[in-house]
Amino acid sequence: MMRRWKSKMRNWLTNKMELPADVLMDLPRITMIGQIHIYIENHRGLLVFTDHELRLLLKQGQLLVKGEAFVIKTILPEEILLEGKIDQVVYLNE
Amino acid sequence: MKNQWLNYLSGSVRVRVHGKGVERFLNTLIRNGVYIWNVQKEEATVASFFILLSDVKKVRVLMRKSECKLYFIEKNGVPFLLKKTWRNVGILFGTLSFLMIIFLLSNVIWSIQIDGAKPETEHRLRQELKKMGIERGALQFKLDDVETIQRKLTNNIEAITWIGVEQQGTTLHFQVVEKKEPKRIEPLSPQHLVAKKKAVITHLFVEEGQPIVTVHDHVVRGQLLVSGIIGKEGQTKTVPARGKILGETWYKSTVVLPLQTTFYVLTGNYKETHYLRIGQLQIPIWWKNKNGFSSYEKETTQRHFRFLHWTLPLSYEKVVWREKEEVVRHYSVEEAFRAAKEAARKELKRKLPDDAVIKGEKVLHQTKENGKVKIEMHYQIIENIATPQPIIQGD
Repeated sequence: MMRRWKSKMRNWLTNKMELPADVLMDLPRITMIGQIHIYIENHRGLLVFTDHELRLLLKQGQLLVKGEAFVIKTILPEEILLEGKIDQVVYLNE
Repeated sequence: MKNQWLNYLSGSVRVRVHGKGVERFLNTLIRNGVYIWNVQKEEATVASFFILLSDVKKVRVLMRKSECKLYFIEKNGVPFLLKKTWRNVGILFGTLSFLMIIFLLSNVIWSIQIDGAKPETEHRLRQELKKMGIERGALQFKLDDVETIQRKLTNNIEAITWIGVEQQGTTLHFQVVEKKEPKRIEPLSPQHLVAKKKAVITHLFVEEGQPIVTVHDHVVRGQLLVSGIIGKEGQTKTVPARGKILGETWYKSTVVLPLQTTFYVLTGNYKETHYLRIGQLQIPIWWKNKNGFSSYEKETTQRHFRFLHWTLPLSYEKVVWREKEEVVRHYSVEEAFRAAKEAARKELKRKLPDDAVIKGEKVLHQTKENGKVKIEMHYQIIENIATPQPIIQGD
């Protein structure tokens, strides 16, 4: 009850104050440079990493990146820079 | 992303992680503030990545809690490079000492060659060189320069007229020209003797020829003294007239001497500074205090270092400061006159030939004005006034 109200409140604030959504709502901000780089902020940890797949935990759901020859260039608690050939970026909601 | 250069400086390690839950292990590392980069999955349960050398301890501790195994597979950066270099320090040391030895040997005199000297002169020369510190094995920059050696040798060895000194690498060449006893050159051509200057004849020493003048005769410059034409009228023949005609000549000289003179003398105190010079840069290596003399004379000697046959832009420089002292000399009037007379006499002697004799001197004039004394001297000199004049045939 309380959490839902909080979430609604945030949504409303974001809309009214024209603040970037990722700041207030802990949404991932994804920057891609063509197929070769993907930069994801606001993730919640690494779930799976192979050279053709990256699965990240988000605050809500997961993010799946598929492609080839993946290398994690940098990884920090909330940021990740992935290099390789990216084919798909998929949101998984369970 | 952090600067890769900083990582290189502090050193980094590439590690390989085996085991289940590699991703989980990575997450723990990241949450604990371990900076990792270039993560690659090699197999399903194997990942490799880079960590900082300073984080290795932290990673080890965290690894114990996980189910993974850690292998170090690559070392990068300055700390490892230093370690490697330290291991090779022997080679480095060897190379350096090799260069040092060649450098030292390049700056040593290895041979002394003497050309054009008789054995005894050569022996004498070698002794003299030894006295100057020039011998096989002497360090070049401790020796005098070539010009100084040349000057000293020419002055010290009488048997040498001229000596050429040349340095070629580590060899000193000496080219000697010895004095030869001068041969008596007989004046073969007929000649007269004539007067060099105005004089009164005092003595006649005629070896050959017909004397024209007698003692107490007054002669002028160019006047015939001894004729080279002898024999009776009609049966004359010409000979080279020889002999000495001494005559009394007169000289006047004027000397002005200030009563008070200021001049500098060296006190004998000196300070040396030794420099190593690289191009324009001067690095002092050894010195005594700072130059604290109020007035001084500076003397600089520079010796270049050599390496094999090259002259390096590196040189050793010695600067000597010699202290000067201002000395004021005061003369009383009498002293000044005496000194002026002495000076006049000295000056005269310098002008006269060695065999001339001062017969008498007279003070013509002595005045004192504006702190100066002025003295005019008159000298009577006995000297050889004869000078040869060839007789031109067919006159």
